[in-house]
Amino acid sequence: MGFLEPLQIFFMSIVGLVANPVNILILFGSVIMGIIFGATPGLTATLGVALLTTLTYGMDVSTAMVALMGIYVGGVYGGSYTAVLVNIPGTAASAATALDGYPLARKGQAGRALGLTTTASAIGTVIGMVFVVMLSPVISALALEFTSFEFFLLALFGIVISGTLTSQDLVYKGWIAGLIGLFLATIGRDSLQFFPRYTFGMSELEGGLDLVPVLIGAFGIPQIMQTIRDNFKISETSEFKKILPEWKTIGKNIPTILRSSLIGVGIGAVPGIGEDIAGWVSYGTAKKASKHPEEFGKGAVEAVIATETANNSCIGGAMIPLLNLGIPGSPPAAMLLGAFMLHGIQPGPMLNIDRPTFVLEITAILLLASIAMWVSGIFLSKQVVKVLKVPTSLFMPIIAVLCVIGSYALGMRVFNLYLMLPIGILAYFLSEMKYPIAPLIIGVILGDMCDQNLRRALMVSQGSFMPVFQRPVSLVLILVIAILIAGQIPAFQRFQVRVKEGVVSLFKKKEKSADNA
Amino acid sequence: MEEKKLRQYDFITAVGLILFSVWELSQALKMPMKESYGGVQSEWYVSPALLPMIIGGGLMLLGAILLVNAIRTGGAASFIEAVKNSGKIKVTEPTRRVVTVVFAFVSFIYLMIPNVDFFLSISLFLFYISTSFYPERDDFRKKMTLQFIIGMGVLLILITTGLDDVLKGILSYNVDILALLFLIYLNIYSRIQARKMDIARKTIRQVTLISLIVPLILCPLFRYFLLVPLPVEGGIIKLMNLVYYAVR
Repeated sequence: MGFLEPLQIFFMSIVGLVANPVNILILFGSVIMGIIFGATPGLTATLGVALLTTLTYGMDVSTAMVALMGIYVGGVYGGSYTAVLVNIPGTAASAATALDGYPLARKGQAGRALGLTTTASAIGTVIGMVFVVMLSPVISALALEFTSFEFFLLALFGIVISGTLTSQDLVYKGWIAGLIGLFLATIGRDSLQFFPRYTFGMSELEGGLDLVPVLIGAFGIPQIMQTIRDNFKISETSEFKKILPEWKTIGKNIPTILRSSLIGVGIGAVPGIGEDIAGWVSYGTAKKASKHPEEFGKGAVEAVIATETANNSCIGGAMIPLLNLGIPGSPPAAMLLGAFMLHGIQPGPMLNIDRPTFVLEITAILLLASIAMWVSGIFLSKQVVKVLKVPTSLFMPIIAVLCVIGSYALGMRVFNLYLMLPIGILAYFLSEMKYPIAPLIIGVILGDMCDQNLRRALMVSQGSFMPVFQRPVSLVLILVIAILIAGQIPAFQRFQVRVKEGVVSLFKKKEKSADNA
Repeated sequence: MEEKKLRQYDFITAVGLILFSVWELSQALKMPMKESYGGVQSEWYVSPALLPMIIGGGLMLLGAILLVNAIRTGGAASFIEAVKNSGKIKVTEPTRRVVTVVFAFVSFIYLMIPNVDFFLSISLFLFYISTSFYPERDDFRKKMTLQFIIGMGVLLILITTGLDDVLKGILSYNVDILALLFLIYLNIYSRIQARKMDIARKTIRQVTLISLIVPLILCPLFRYFLLVPLPVEGGIIKLMNLVYYAVR
């Protein structure tokens, strides 16, 4: 493909989607649904994507993707509503937004704050989309050079890094969650010798665990249990007359937007990390770079823009490894992977060969979703906020039913429900004990990739691990994994500190000698 | 969760993890390693046991690290202390709420969905869980839970003893009829209790509406639009089919 051909496909995709009024209706409907899911504490973009996946079963691929990307984009942005209006982030992705969004609302600038979050989110999504277009061909071409060892190490890296970065307590709790996920992935007949592993003689387990019920169980059930347990209620929301796009303020903060977008895309591209970490990292970086860091936490416009740009640009970032390597960059992207598979799309290096226009179609949908999100955010926010008045004790049981029917409908197996609930209860207790759930899910998703590629690689090398050290990509991956693991060993940490001190003192000596000279 | 309690749970989890990894490894050792399986001569590096062994080994190692950390940070000591004072442990209200949710889920998934008409299953589940939490009265929730336990107990006895098959000979859709009667009874019971406890009538009315409207939307949506056959298509779904195919 030349330069013009992708552009042509991109615009043709947009025209094709916009030409169909049903697509526009579905796009706006799913974006608004996403905003509601994002804005309602206890519901998340991940759960939204999971539940909508069931409803897209009968749709054609393009329409299904419009619906799923719409709810994803809306869901990540929607969290900012409650973050700004009631100081309760609707999703973890908007936790950092609450720090300055709510003080702005308290100053009587709720409309302005929401205008900023809306516009920043839309810009973030578009920038993320640009990165998907730019990086996909490069990563895809690189991935085609990968051998089984690289794929095995890539999967292992995904599990280790998501475990390392998402753990709120001890880092190895994240790794334990990842290993539990890997174990769940080994259930069923293995794909090379068809030997039944951990099936207990049950024919229902021979095909392995269906991904969607596991995801709904792990993300949906704990949230329902936690929300009902805490008897969560939204108090009075801050009043606002209308939402203003605030172009002038956005224009003043272009460096912040660009920096936050890069952070969002970068963090999104790391497997299993997600939008919440992007928001926090962006917030911290914006504070460090700001000329007035003392204003942060008191209603700094810069902070609101930074967090919302980052968490929405993270969507594009998460799509990069998902589309090109088959490795989800965030929990909602993990759910999207299940949806892709349901519609017969196998993400990975072969995607650009099997479906050369698919990535461009997805980016076109992302652009449309960001426009729909902006329009909905500016014009329909007042109506969306009304939904927040529905008591969670009425709302959550309905979500529970949707989780159940969603898990059942995709495989049409009641057995999926028998699995979903124990996994959900396990996930609830794990999250209560500060075990992150994202690595568990990444483990389930990448388990088969790990197993197949490790054995295939060793089959080719006759049981030798030497090729790992002879290929640059696998060598880099194994070194990164080793450093991540060793980084948790106290002796290694002390060694790192000593090295750092040594390097610093060496520089200081050089500076002194230069000054003396 | 407070630090002390977290380390206490870490101690229990670590022990559980080590036991689990021992079991996992013992199962992995039963898988073909060097021998022939399905006409294929296996080698250790293509064995289906390879990844399970890595997982088991990893979990055992991390479980041991977690155990050491839990012991070092006082998790083991606080666990022993908790065992000694187990008689004094009070079940907190949030825990009771969680148990209620789990019980509702278990009844819904393992008992109602495989045996009762799907419409009625959803309706019963929604009615019970919403009346338990929406009025925000613990005493009301306890009363509703007790009634629900009795109802589910009857259903369990019917199914496990095979009585439902006997009744089927006498009356079709007997379980559905019982479930419908139970739903009506729960509704009347909740209204009486609500009146006694000064709970607004509107509350029960809203719950009733939701428990009927939600399955009324979802069942046709999945059955006729997404063409998903529902787990149990009993009396109500059959009635829906009659209406749908007559109108279509």
